[in-house]
Amino acid sequence: MFGYVVINEQELKVREVGLYRSYYCGFCRELKRKYGFPGQMTLSYDMTFLIMVLSDLYDAKDTVAKTRCIAHPLGEHQTRINLYTEYAADMNLILSYYACLDDWSDEKKLHKLMLARLLQRRSQEAGINYGHKAAVIKDRLDKLHAAENSDSSDIDLVAGYFGDIMAELFAIYEDEWEEPLRHMGFYLGKFIYIMDAYDDLEKDQKSGSFNPLKKMADRPDFDDCCQQILTMMISRSCEAFELLPCVENLPILRNILYSGVWTRYNNVRARRQGLTPDASSDSARSHSPAAFSDATILGADSSLQESKHSG
Amino acid sequence: MSDPYQVLGVSRSATDDDIKKAYRTLSRKYHPDSNINNPNKEQAEEKFKEVQAAYKQIMYERQHPYSSSGSSSGSGYGSSGSYGGSYGSSGGYGYRGSYDGDFWGDFFGGGFGGFGGQQRSYQNQNQDEDSIRLQAAANYLNSRHYQEALNVLNSISSHSAQWYYYSAIANSGLGNNVLALQQAQTAAQMEPSNQTYQELVQRLNSGSSWYQSRQNPYETFSSGTANWCLRLCLLNAALNLCCGGGGLCCGGYPMW
Repeated sequence: MFGYVVINEQELKVREVGLYRSYYCGFCRELKRKYGFPGQMTLSYDMTFLIMVLSDLYDAKDTVAKTRCIAHPLGEHQTRINLYTEYAADMNLILSYYACLDDWSDEKKLHKLMLARLLQRRSQEAGINYGHKAAVIKDRLDKLHAAENSDSSDIDLVAGYFGDIMAELFAIYEDEWEEPLRHMGFYLGKFIYIMDAYDDLEKDQKSGSFNPLKKMADRPDFDDCCQQILTMMISRSCEAFELLPCVENLPILRNILYSGVWTRYNNVRARRQGLTPDASSDSARSHSPAAFSDATILGADSSLQESKHSG
Repeated sequence: MSDPYQVLGVSRSATDDDIKKAYRTLSRKYHPDSNINNPNKEQAEEKFKEVQAAYKQIMYERQHPYSSSGSSSGSGYGSSGSYGGSYGSSGGYGYRGSYDGDFWGDFFGGGFGGFGGQQRSYQNQNQDEDSIRLQAAANYLNSRHYQEALNVLNSISSHSAQWYYYSAIANSGLGNNVLALQQAQTAAQMEPSNQTYQELVQRLNSGSSWYQSRQNPYETFSSGTANWCLRLCLLNAALNLCCGGGGLCCGGYPMW
Protein backbone atom coordinates (compact mmCIF):
# COMPACT_ATOMS: atom_id res chain seq x y z
CA MET A 1 0.00 0.00 0.00
CA PHE A 2 2.77 2.43 0.80
CA GLY A 3 5.69 3.41 -1.39
CA TYR A 4 4.00 6.05 -3.53
CA VAL A 5 4.91 9.19 -1.62
CA VAL A 6 8.48 9.36 -2.88
CA ILE A 7 10.93 11.90 -4.19
CA ASN A 8 11.73 12.63 -7.79
CA GLU A 9 15.41 12.38 -7.17
CA GLN A 10 16.49 13.92 -10.43
CA GLU A 11 14.81 17.18 -9.58
CA LEU A 12 16.40 17.60 -6.17
CA LYS A 13 19.77 18.98 -5.19
CA VAL A 14 22.28 16.49 -3.92
CA ARG A 15 22.15 18.10 -0.49
CA GLU A 16 18.38 17.72 -0.43
CA VAL A 17 18.52 14.06 -1.37
CA GLY A 18 21.00 13.60 1.46
CA LEU A 19 18.67 15.31 3.91
CA TYR A 20 15.76 13.14 2.84
CA ARG A 21 17.86 10.00 3.21
CA SER A 22 19.00 11.01 6.67
CA TYR A 23 15.40 11.21 7.85
CA TYR A 24 14.67 7.87 6.22
CA CYS A 25 17.71 6.23 7.79
CA GLY A 26 16.93 7.87 11.09
CA PHE A 27 13.43 6.45 10.91
CA CYS A 28 14.81 2.99 10.34
CA ARG A 29 17.07 3.32 13.37
CA GLU A 30 14.24 4.53 15.54
CA LEU A 31 11.96 1.71 14.43
CA LYS A 32 14.65 -0.76 15.31
CA ARG A 33 15.30 0.85 18.67
CA LYS A 34 11.67 0.93 19.74
CA TYR A 35 10.17 -2.10 18.05
CA GLY A 36 13.01 -4.25 16.86
CA PHE A 37 12.99 -6.16 13.65
CA PRO A 38 9.20 -6.20 13.20
CA GLY A 39 9.35 -2.43 13.58
CA GLN A 40 11.93 -2.13 10.85
CA MET A 41 9.69 -4.08 8.54
CA THR A 42 7.25 -1.18 8.61
CA LEU A 43 9.75 1.36 7.30
CA SER A 44 8.26 3.40 4.47
CA TYR A 45 8.92 6.49 2.39
CA ASP A 46 5.41 7.67 3.08
CA MET A 47 5.91 7.93 6.80
CA THR A 48 9.30 9.55 6.14
CA PHE A 49 7.35 12.23 4.29
CA LEU A 50 5.13 12.71 7.32
CA ILE A 51 8.17 13.01 9.57
CA MET A 52 9.57 15.75 7.35
CA VAL A 53 6.29 17.66 7.25
CA LEU A 54 5.91 17.63 11.02
CA SER A 55 9.60 18.26 11.67
CA ASP A 56 9.43 21.39 9.55
CA LEU A 57 6.10 22.63 10.83
CA TYR A 58 6.97 22.20 14.48
CA ASP A 59 10.61 23.20 14.24
CA ALA A 60 11.94 19.90 15.52
CA LYS A 61 15.45 19.60 16.85
CA ASP A 62 17.17 16.75 15.07
CA THR A 63 19.69 14.46 16.65
CA VAL A 64 22.19 13.89 13.89
CA ALA A 65 24.41 10.85 13.90
CA LYS A 66 26.19 8.52 11.56
CA THR A 67 25.50 4.87 11.13
CA ARG A 68 26.57 1.85 9.22
CA CYS A 69 24.16 -0.77 8.11
CA ILE A 70 23.99 -3.78 5.87
CA ALA A 71 21.59 -2.21 3.42
CA HIS A 72 24.03 0.60 2.72
CA PRO A 73 27.46 -0.99 2.79
CA LEU A 74 29.17 1.82 0.94
CA GLY A 75 30.12 3.76 4.04
CA GLU A 76 28.52 5.60 6.87
CA HIS A 77 25.19 7.32 6.46
CA GLN A 78 23.77 10.24 8.30
CA THR A 79 20.70 9.70 10.42
CA ARG A 80 18.35 12.37 11.67
CA ILE A 81 15.98 11.59 14.50
CA ASN A 82 13.58 13.79 16.41
CA LEU A 83 10.39 13.40 18.35
CA TYR A 84 8.35 13.12 15.15
CA THR A 85 10.48 10.19 14.11
CA GLU A 86 9.42 8.54 17.33
CA TYR A 87 5.81 9.50 16.69
CA ALA A 88 5.92 7.92 13.24
CA ALA A 89 7.42 4.75 14.71
CA ASP A 90 4.61 4.63 17.26
CA MET A 91 2.02 5.10 14.55
CA ASN A 92 3.53 2.31 12.53
CA LEU A 93 3.19 0.01 15.50
CA ILE A 94 -0.47 0.88 15.86
CA LEU A 95 -1.09 0.48 12.14
CA SER A 96 0.67 -2.82 11.83
CA TYR A 97 -0.99 -4.17 14.90
CA TYR A 98 -4.48 -3.54 13.64
CA ALA A 99 -3.71 -4.34 10.02
CA CYS A 100 -2.21 -7.65 10.88
CA LEU A 101 -4.68 -10.21 9.80
CA ASP A 102 -2.33 -13.12 9.51
CA ASP A 103 -1.58 -15.21 12.46
CA TRP A 104 1.80 -14.09 13.60
CA SER A 105 1.07 -15.57 16.96
CA ASP A 106 4.35 -14.78 18.65
CA GLU A 107 4.92 -11.45 17.04
CA LYS A 108 1.34 -10.48 17.60
CA LYS A 109 1.71 -11.09 21.32
CA LEU A 110 4.78 -8.92 21.27
CA HIS A 111 2.95 -6.23 19.36
CA LYS A 112 0.04 -6.32 21.77
CA LEU A 113 2.32 -5.74 24.72
CA MET A 114 4.07 -2.89 23.00
CA LEU A 115 0.77 -1.38 22.01
CA ALA A 116 -0.58 -1.45 25.53
CA ARG A 117 2.57 0.13 26.86
CA LEU A 118 2.45 2.73 24.14
CA LEU A 119 -1.10 3.75 24.74
CA GLN A 120 -0.64 4.00 28.45
CA ARG A 121 2.66 5.75 28.75
CA ARG A 122 3.29 7.71 25.62
CA SER A 123 0.03 9.61 25.51
CA GLN A 124 0.87 11.47 28.66
CA GLU A 125 4.51 11.98 27.72
CA ALA A 126 3.95 13.29 24.28
CA GLY A 127 0.71 15.20 24.68
CA ILE A 128 -0.68 13.22 21.80
CA ASN A 129 -3.99 11.42 22.00
CA TYR A 130 -2.73 8.00 21.01
CA GLY A 131 -5.79 6.28 22.40
CA HIS A 132 -8.10 8.21 20.14
CA LYS A 133 -5.89 7.68 17.12
CA ALA A 134 -5.64 3.95 17.75
CA ALA A 135 -9.41 3.73 18.06
CA VAL A 136 -10.00 5.55 14.78
CA ILE A 137 -7.39 3.45 12.99
CA LYS A 138 -8.94 0.24 14.23
CA ASP A 139 -12.43 1.40 13.32
CA ARG A 140 -11.53 2.44 9.81
CA LEU A 141 -9.51 -0.68 9.10
CA ASP A 142 -12.47 -2.80 10.17
CA LYS A 143 -14.81 -0.79 7.97
CA LEU A 144 -12.39 -0.98 5.09
CA HIS A 145 -12.18 -4.76 5.30
CA ALA A 146 -15.95 -5.02 5.44
CA ALA A 147 -16.37 -2.80 2.39
CA GLU A 148 -13.71 -4.71 0.48
CA ASN A 149 -15.33 -8.01 1.38
CA SER A 150 -18.64 -6.75 0.06
CA ASP A 151 -16.92 -5.78 -3.19
CA SER A 152 -17.87 -2.12 -2.98
CA SER A 153 -17.24 0.00 -6.05
CA ASP A 154 -17.79 3.22 -4.13
CA ILE A 155 -14.37 4.77 -4.55
CA ASP A 156 -15.00 7.61 -2.12
CA LEU A 157 -16.13 5.18 0.55
CA VAL A 158 -13.20 2.79 0.55
CA ALA A 159 -10.55 5.39 -0.25
CA GLY A 160 -12.14 7.60 2.39
CA TYR A 161 -11.61 5.03 5.13
CA PHE A 162 -7.93 4.95 4.32
CA GLY A 163 -7.98 8.72 4.07
CA ASP A 164 -9.40 8.93 7.56
CA ILE A 165 -6.50 6.87 8.84
CA MET A 166 -3.94 9.08 7.20
CA ALA A 167 -5.76 12.15 8.47
CA GLU A 168 -5.39 10.78 11.96
CA LEU A 169 -1.68 10.26 11.45
CA PHE A 170 -1.13 13.74 10.07
CA ALA A 171 -3.18 15.69 12.59
CA ILE A 172 -0.79 15.03 15.41
CA TYR A 173 -1.95 17.63 17.94
CA GLU A 174 -5.23 19.35 18.61
CA ASP A 175 -3.94 22.76 17.69
CA GLU A 176 -4.18 25.43 15.01
CA TRP A 177 -2.63 23.12 12.42
CA GLU A 178 -4.94 20.22 13.05
CA GLU A 179 -7.42 21.08 10.32
CA PRO A 180 -5.00 21.69 7.47
CA LEU A 181 -3.02 18.60 8.48
CA ARG A 182 -6.18 16.55 8.66
CA HIS A 183 -7.26 17.68 5.21
CA MET A 184 -3.82 17.09 3.81
CA GLY A 185 -3.66 13.60 5.26
CA PHE A 186 -7.19 12.70 4.23
CA TYR A 187 -6.75 13.48 0.56
CA LEU A 188 -3.24 12.10 0.45
CA GLY A 189 -4.64 8.90 1.92
CA LYS A 190 -7.30 8.75 -0.77
CA PHE A 191 -4.64 9.38 -3.38
CA ILE A 192 -2.49 6.53 -2.09
CA TYR A 193 -5.40 4.12 -1.89
CA ILE A 194 -6.60 4.84 -5.41
CA MET A 195 -3.06 4.78 -6.78
CA ASP A 196 -2.58 1.39 -5.21
CA ALA A 197 -5.81 0.17 -6.80
CA TYR A 198 -4.72 1.51 -10.18
CA ASP A 199 -1.36 -0.18 -9.81
CA ASP A 200 -2.86 -3.53 -8.79
CA LEU A 201 -5.75 -3.62 -11.25
CA GLU A 202 -4.48 -6.29 -13.62
CA LYS A 203 -3.27 -8.46 -10.79
CA ASP A 204 -6.58 -8.19 -8.96
CA GLN A 205 -8.58 -8.87 -12.10
CA LYS A 206 -6.63 -12.05 -12.66
CA SER A 207 -6.86 -13.25 -9.09
CA GLY A 208 -10.41 -12.09 -8.52
CA SER A 209 -9.32 -9.94 -5.60
CA PHE A 210 -11.11 -6.78 -4.58
CA ASN A 211 -10.39 -3.64 -6.53
CA PRO A 212 -12.69 -0.60 -6.47
CA LEU A 213 -11.68 0.38 -10.00
CA LYS A 214 -12.82 -2.89 -11.55
CA LYS A 215 -16.19 -1.49 -12.62
CA MET A 216 -14.56 1.41 -14.44
CA ALA A 217 -11.87 -0.71 -16.00
CA ASP A 218 -13.56 -1.26 -19.33
CA ARG A 219 -13.95 2.42 -20.12
CA PRO A 220 -11.88 3.52 -23.10
CA ASP A 221 -10.79 6.59 -21.15
CA PHE A 222 -9.97 4.61 -18.01
CA ASP A 223 -6.41 5.87 -17.63
CA ASP A 224 -7.43 9.49 -18.13
CA CYS A 225 -10.26 9.03 -15.73
CA CYS A 226 -7.93 7.65 -13.07
CA GLN A 227 -5.54 10.50 -13.66
CA GLN A 228 -8.35 12.97 -13.17
CA ILE A 229 -9.44 11.34 -9.92
CA LEU A 230 -5.89 11.11 -8.63
CA THR A 231 -5.28 14.75 -9.52
CA MET A 232 -8.41 15.76 -7.65
CA MET A 233 -7.10 14.04 -4.56
CA ILE A 234 -3.54 15.25 -4.61
CA SER A 235 -4.56 18.79 -5.45
CA ARG A 236 -6.82 19.02 -2.40
CA SER A 237 -4.03 17.64 -0.29
CA CYS A 238 -1.64 20.25 -1.67
CA GLU A 239 -4.07 23.08 -1.08
CA ALA A 240 -4.09 22.17 2.58
CA PHE A 241 -0.33 21.67 2.63
CA GLU A 242 0.30 25.14 1.21
CA LEU A 243 -1.53 26.63 4.17
CA LEU A 244 1.10 25.27 6.51
CA PRO A 245 4.08 27.51 7.23
CA CYS A 246 6.63 24.89 6.30
CA VAL A 247 9.90 26.52 5.38
CA GLU A 248 13.01 24.36 5.78
CA ASN A 249 11.93 21.29 3.88
CA LEU A 250 9.74 22.97 1.28
CA PRO A 251 11.78 22.02 -1.80
CA ILE A 252 11.76 18.35 -0.83
CA LEU A 253 8.13 18.27 0.26
CA ARG A 254 6.97 20.05 -2.88
CA ASN A 255 9.11 17.79 -5.04
CA ILE A 256 7.27 14.84 -3.55
CA LEU A 257 3.77 16.30 -3.70
CA TYR A 258 3.92 17.84 -7.16
CA SER A 259 6.15 15.35 -8.88
CA GLY A 260 7.37 12.34 -6.95
CA VAL A 261 3.93 10.93 -6.18
CA TRP A 262 3.34 10.39 -9.91
CA THR A 263 6.42 8.22 -10.36
CA ARG A 264 4.64 4.92 -10.05
CA TYR A 265 1.59 6.17 -11.94
CA ASN A 266 3.74 7.03 -14.94
CA ASN A 267 5.27 3.57 -14.92
CA VAL A 268 1.94 1.84 -14.57
CA ARG A 269 0.34 3.91 -17.30
CA ALA A 270 3.21 3.28 -19.68
CA ARG A 271 2.99 -0.41 -18.96
CA ARG A 272 -0.75 -0.45 -19.52
CA GLN A 273 -0.31 1.29 -22.81
CA GLY A 274 2.24 -1.27 -23.85
CA LEU A 275 5.22 1.02 -23.95
CA THR A 276 7.45 -0.86 -21.55
CA PRO A 277 6.38 -4.48 -21.48
CA ASP A 278 9.30 -5.50 -19.28
CA ALA A 279 9.13 -3.08 -16.45
CA SER A 280 6.09 -4.27 -14.56
CA SER A 281 5.62 -2.53 -11.27
CA ASP A 282 5.53 -5.87 -9.48
CA SER A 283 9.10 -6.54 -10.39
CA ALA A 284 9.97 -2.98 -9.50
CA ARG A 285 8.60 -3.65 -6.04
CA SER A 286 10.34 -6.90 -5.34
CA HIS A 287 13.71 -6.11 -6.84
CA SER A 288 14.63 -3.03 -4.93
CA PRO A 289 17.38 -4.24 -2.69
CA ALA A 290 19.85 -1.43 -2.73
CA ALA A 291 18.03 1.78 -2.16
CA PHE A 292 20.29 4.80 -2.11
CA SER A 293 23.17 3.03 -3.64
CA ASP A 294 23.96 3.93 -7.19
CA ALA A 295 20.46 3.90 -8.55
CA THR A 296 17.55 4.52 -6.35
CA ILE A 297 14.24 2.94 -7.12
CA LEU A 298 12.20 5.38 -5.26
CA GLY A 299 8.90 4.04 -6.36
CA ALA A 300 9.48 0.69 -4.79
CA ASP A 301 8.22 -0.50 -1.49
CA SER A 302 11.01 0.38 0.86
CA SER A 303 10.32 -2.18 3.54
CA LEU A 304 11.85 -4.82 1.35
CA GLN A 305 15.35 -3.50 1.31
CA GLU A 306 15.44 -2.87 5.02
CA SER A 307 14.29 -6.32 5.89
CA LYS A 308 17.78 -7.70 5.76
CA HIS A 309 18.88 -5.77 8.80
CA SER A 310 20.26 -7.95 11.43
CA GLY A 311 22.42 -5.53 13.35
CA MET B 1 -7.52 44.37 12.49
CA SER B 2 -4.54 46.25 11.16
CA ASP B 3 -3.00 45.38 7.84
CA PRO B 4 -1.96 41.72 8.11
CA TYR B 5 0.98 42.34 5.80
CA GLN B 6 2.25 45.01 8.16
CA VAL B 7 1.81 42.70 11.13
CA LEU B 8 4.08 40.16 9.45
CA GLY B 9 6.42 42.87 8.20
CA VAL B 10 6.17 41.92 4.54
CA SER B 11 5.08 43.72 1.43
CA ARG B 12 1.89 42.85 -0.45
CA SER B 13 3.94 41.46 -3.28
CA ALA B 14 5.78 39.03 -1.03
CA THR B 15 5.70 35.44 -2.21
CA ASP B 16 3.82 32.76 -0.27
CA ASP B 17 7.12 31.36 0.85
CA ASP B 18 8.22 34.76 2.15
CA ILE B 19 4.98 34.97 4.10
CA LYS B 20 5.63 31.57 5.62
CA LYS B 21 9.17 32.55 6.60
CA ALA B 22 7.99 35.79 8.12
CA TYR B 23 5.31 33.98 10.08
CA ARG B 24 7.78 31.40 11.37
CA THR B 25 10.27 34.00 12.51
CA LEU B 26 7.66 36.02 14.35
CA SER B 27 5.83 33.08 15.82
CA ARG B 28 9.08 31.70 17.18
CA LYS B 29 9.74 35.05 18.79
CA TYR B 30 6.33 35.47 20.38
CA HIS B 31 5.33 31.88 21.08
CA PRO B 32 4.28 31.41 24.71
CA ASP B 33 6.82 28.63 25.10
CA SER B 34 9.64 31.03 24.19
CA ASN B 35 8.40 33.70 26.56
CA ILE B 36 7.94 31.85 29.80
CA ASN B 37 10.46 34.03 31.58
CA ASN B 38 9.48 37.19 29.80
CA PRO B 39 7.97 39.79 32.14
CA ASN B 40 5.88 40.98 29.19
CA LYS B 41 4.62 37.54 28.37
CA GLU B 42 1.01 38.64 28.07
CA GLN B 43 1.94 41.14 25.40
CA ALA B 44 3.97 38.47 23.72
CA GLU B 45 0.97 36.18 23.68
CA GLU B 46 -1.23 38.93 22.28
CA LYS B 47 1.30 39.58 19.58
CA PHE B 48 1.50 35.85 18.88
CA LYS B 49 -2.22 35.66 18.31
CA GLU B 50 -2.09 38.73 16.11
CA VAL B 51 0.66 37.20 14.02
CA GLN B 52 -1.31 33.96 13.70
CA ALA B 53 -4.45 35.79 12.64
CA ALA B 54 -2.51 37.84 10.09
CA TYR B 55 -1.01 34.70 8.60
CA LYS B 56 -4.34 33.01 8.35
CA GLN B 57 -5.96 36.02 6.72
CA ILE B 58 -3.28 36.39 4.09
CA MET B 59 -3.31 32.67 3.25
CA TYR B 60 -7.08 32.69 3.03
CA GLU B 61 -7.12 35.66 0.67
CA ARG B 62 -4.36 34.24 -1.48
CA GLN B 63 -5.81 30.79 -1.86
CA HIS B 64 -9.02 31.89 -3.45
CA PRO B 65 -8.08 33.36 -6.82
CA TYR B 66 -10.14 30.67 -8.60
CA SER B 67 -13.31 31.33 -6.78
CA SER B 68 -15.33 34.22 -8.10
CA SER B 69 -17.25 34.71 -4.93
CA GLY B 70 -14.12 34.72 -2.85
CA SER B 71 -15.25 31.80 -0.80
CA SER B 72 -13.49 28.51 -0.37
CA SER B 73 -12.16 26.94 -3.52
CA GLY B 74 -14.26 23.89 -3.04
CA SER B 75 -11.90 22.10 -0.75
CA GLY B 76 -14.55 22.19 1.90
CA TYR B 77 -14.41 18.89 3.62
CA GLY B 78 -16.62 19.50 6.53
CA SER B 79 -15.77 21.26 9.73
CA SER B 80 -13.60 19.30 12.08
CA GLY B 81 -16.63 18.30 14.05
CA SER B 82 -18.46 16.60 11.28
CA TYR B 83 -16.07 13.78 10.76
CA GLY B 84 -14.12 11.61 13.08
CA GLY B 85 -17.21 9.57 13.49
CA SER B 86 -18.42 8.43 16.82
CA TYR B 87 -15.26 9.29 18.65
CA GLY B 88 -16.17 12.88 19.10
CA SER B 89 -13.88 15.21 20.89
CA SER B 90 -10.96 13.59 22.57
CA GLY B 91 -10.86 16.32 25.15
CA GLY B 92 -8.26 17.27 27.67
CA TYR B 93 -5.32 17.44 25.33
CA GLY B 94 -5.12 21.17 24.81
CA TYR B 95 -1.46 20.89 23.98
CA ARG B 96 -0.99 24.22 22.32
CA GLY B 97 -2.40 26.52 24.94
CA SER B 98 -3.11 29.43 22.69
CA TYR B 99 -5.11 27.50 20.16
CA ASP B 100 -8.35 29.12 19.27
CA GLY B 101 -10.70 26.35 18.29
CA ASP B 102 -12.06 28.28 15.37
CA PHE B 103 -8.74 29.26 13.84
CA TRP B 104 -9.60 28.10 10.36
CA GLY B 105 -13.27 28.90 10.78
CA ASP B 106 -14.97 28.85 7.45
CA PHE B 107 -11.82 28.05 5.52
CA PHE B 108 -12.43 24.35 5.32
CA GLY B 109 -16.14 24.68 5.56
CA GLY B 110 -16.96 24.87 1.90
CA GLY B 111 -18.40 28.36 2.04
CA PHE B 112 -20.61 27.73 -0.92
CA GLY B 113 -22.71 30.74 -0.20
CA GLY B 114 -26.29 30.98 0.86
CA PHE B 115 -28.84 28.52 -0.28
CA GLY B 116 -32.43 29.37 -0.30
CA GLY B 117 -32.17 31.88 -3.07
CA GLN B 118 -32.19 28.86 -5.32
CA GLN B 119 -35.51 27.94 -3.88
CA ARG B 120 -37.28 31.04 -5.06
CA SER B 121 -38.77 29.22 -7.97
CA TYR B 122 -40.17 26.62 -5.66
CA GLN B 123 -41.95 29.00 -3.38
CA ASN B 124 -44.58 29.82 -5.97
CA GLN B 125 -45.49 26.20 -6.45
CA ASN B 126 -47.07 23.75 -4.09
CA GLN B 127 -44.99 23.19 -1.05
CA ASP B 128 -44.82 19.49 -1.70
CA GLU B 129 -42.77 17.06 0.32
CA ASP B 130 -39.78 17.15 -1.97
CA SER B 131 -39.57 20.94 -2.02
CA ILE B 132 -39.73 21.11 1.74
CA ARG B 133 -36.99 18.52 2.00
CA LEU B 134 -34.84 20.30 -0.55
CA GLN B 135 -35.18 23.48 1.48
CA ALA B 136 -34.21 21.59 4.61
CA ALA B 137 -31.17 20.24 2.81
CA ALA B 138 -30.27 23.76 1.73
CA ASN B 139 -30.49 24.94 5.31
CA TYR B 140 -28.18 22.17 6.42
CA LEU B 141 -25.72 23.09 3.68
CA ASN B 142 -25.78 26.70 4.84
CA SER B 143 -24.74 25.63 8.29
CA ARG B 144 -22.27 23.08 6.91
CA HIS B 145 -24.03 20.06 8.33
CA TYR B 146 -23.23 17.97 5.32
CA GLN B 147 -24.17 14.56 6.64
CA GLU B 148 -27.57 15.78 7.74
CA ALA B 149 -28.07 17.40 4.33
CA LEU B 150 -27.19 14.13 2.65
CA ASN B 151 -29.58 12.21 4.88
CA VAL B 152 -32.44 14.48 3.86
CA LEU B 153 -31.47 14.35 0.21
CA ASN B 154 -31.41 10.57 0.27
CA SER B 155 -35.00 10.60 1.46
CA ILE B 156 -36.10 12.43 -1.68
CA SER B 157 -37.09 10.05 -4.43
CA SER B 158 -37.07 12.33 -7.44
CA HIS B 159 -33.65 13.53 -8.49
CA SER B 160 -33.89 16.90 -10.14
CA ALA B 161 -30.92 18.94 -11.27
CA GLN B 162 -31.19 20.83 -8.03
CA TRP B 163 -31.10 17.59 -6.09
CA TYR B 164 -27.85 16.68 -7.84
CA TYR B 165 -26.48 20.17 -7.18
CA TYR B 166 -27.16 20.00 -3.45
CA SER B 167 -25.91 16.42 -3.24
CA ALA B 168 -22.70 17.45 -4.95
CA ILE B 169 -22.09 20.13 -2.37
CA ALA B 170 -22.93 17.85 0.54
CA ASN B 171 -20.64 15.14 -0.76
CA SER B 172 -17.87 17.61 -1.43
CA GLY B 173 -18.13 18.78 2.15
CA LEU B 174 -17.86 15.22 3.37
CA GLY B 175 -14.77 14.56 1.29
CA ASN B 176 -16.56 12.41 -1.29
CA ASN B 177 -15.12 14.44 -4.08
CA VAL B 178 -15.32 11.81 -6.83
CA LEU B 179 -19.05 11.48 -6.34
CA ALA B 180 -19.42 15.23 -5.87
CA LEU B 181 -17.93 15.96 -9.25
CA GLN B 182 -20.08 13.32 -10.95
CA GLN B 183 -23.20 14.78 -9.36
CA ALA B 184 -22.25 18.34 -10.25
CA GLN B 185 -21.68 17.28 -13.83
CA THR B 186 -25.08 15.58 -13.87
CA ALA B 187 -26.78 18.75 -12.63
CA ALA B 188 -24.99 20.81 -15.25
CA GLN B 189 -25.96 18.35 -17.97
CA MET B 190 -29.59 18.34 -16.92
CA GLU B 191 -29.77 22.13 -17.01
CA PRO B 192 -27.00 23.40 -19.25
CA SER B 193 -28.21 26.98 -19.08
CA ASN B 194 -27.90 27.13 -15.33
CA GLN B 195 -24.76 29.14 -14.56
CA THR B 196 -24.66 28.10 -10.91
CA TYR B 197 -24.34 24.45 -11.79
CA GLN B 198 -21.61 25.16 -14.34
CA GLU B 199 -19.75 27.20 -11.76
CA LEU B 200 -19.86 24.38 -9.27
CA VAL B 201 -18.32 22.00 -11.78
CA GLN B 202 -15.64 24.55 -12.48
CA ARG B 203 -14.99 25.15 -8.83
CA LEU B 204 -14.67 21.44 -8.10
CA ASN B 205 -12.18 21.22 -10.93
CA SER B 206 -10.30 24.39 -10.09
CA GLY B 207 -8.06 22.68 -7.59
CA SER B 208 -6.80 20.37 -10.30
CA SER B 209 -5.98 23.29 -12.64
CA TRP B 210 -4.15 25.05 -9.85
CA TYR B 211 -2.22 21.89 -9.03
CA GLN B 212 -1.24 21.21 -12.62
CA SER B 213 0.10 24.72 -13.02
CA ARG B 214 2.40 24.03 -10.10
CA GLN B 215 3.69 20.83 -11.66
CA ASN B 216 5.33 22.64 -14.57
CA PRO B 217 8.74 23.16 -13.00
CA TYR B 218 9.17 19.43 -12.58
CA GLU B 219 10.02 17.12 -15.39
CA THR B 220 7.85 14.10 -15.41
CA PHE B 221 9.44 10.81 -14.59
CA SER B 222 9.49 8.98 -17.85
CA SER B 223 9.15 5.25 -18.07
CA GLY B 224 12.47 5.09 -19.90
CA THR B 225 14.18 6.31 -16.79
CA ALA B 226 12.38 3.73 -14.72
CA ASN B 227 13.78 1.04 -16.93
CA TRP B 228 17.25 2.39 -16.46
CA CYS B 229 16.75 2.49 -12.73
CA LEU B 230 15.42 -1.04 -12.69
CA ARG B 231 18.36 -2.38 -14.66
CA LEU B 232 20.93 -0.65 -12.48
CA CYS B 233 19.16 -1.88 -9.42
CA LEU B 234 19.10 -5.47 -10.60
CA LEU B 235 22.79 -5.13 -11.37
CA ASN B 236 23.32 -3.84 -7.89
CA ALA B 237 21.37 -6.76 -6.54
CA ALA B 238 23.60 -9.17 -8.35
CA LEU B 239 26.68 -7.50 -6.96
CA ASN B 240 25.32 -6.98 -3.49
CA LEU B 241 25.96 -10.18 -1.62
CA CYS B 242 23.54 -9.29 1.09
CA CYS B 243 20.57 -9.46 -1.17
CA GLY B 244 21.33 -12.90 -2.48
CA GLY B 245 18.92 -15.27 -0.95
CA GLY B 246 17.01 -13.37 1.65
CA GLY B 247 13.51 -14.65 1.26
CA LEU B 248 12.19 -11.69 3.15
CA CYS B 249 13.54 -9.37 0.52
CA CYS B 250 11.68 -10.62 -2.45
CA GLY B 251 8.88 -12.71 -1.19
CA GLY B 252 6.10 -10.27 -1.55
CA TYR B 253 5.97 -7.45 0.87
CA PRO B 254 4.70 -6.88 4.35
CA MET B 255 1.31 -5.50 5.22
CA TRP B 256 2.28 -1.99 4.39
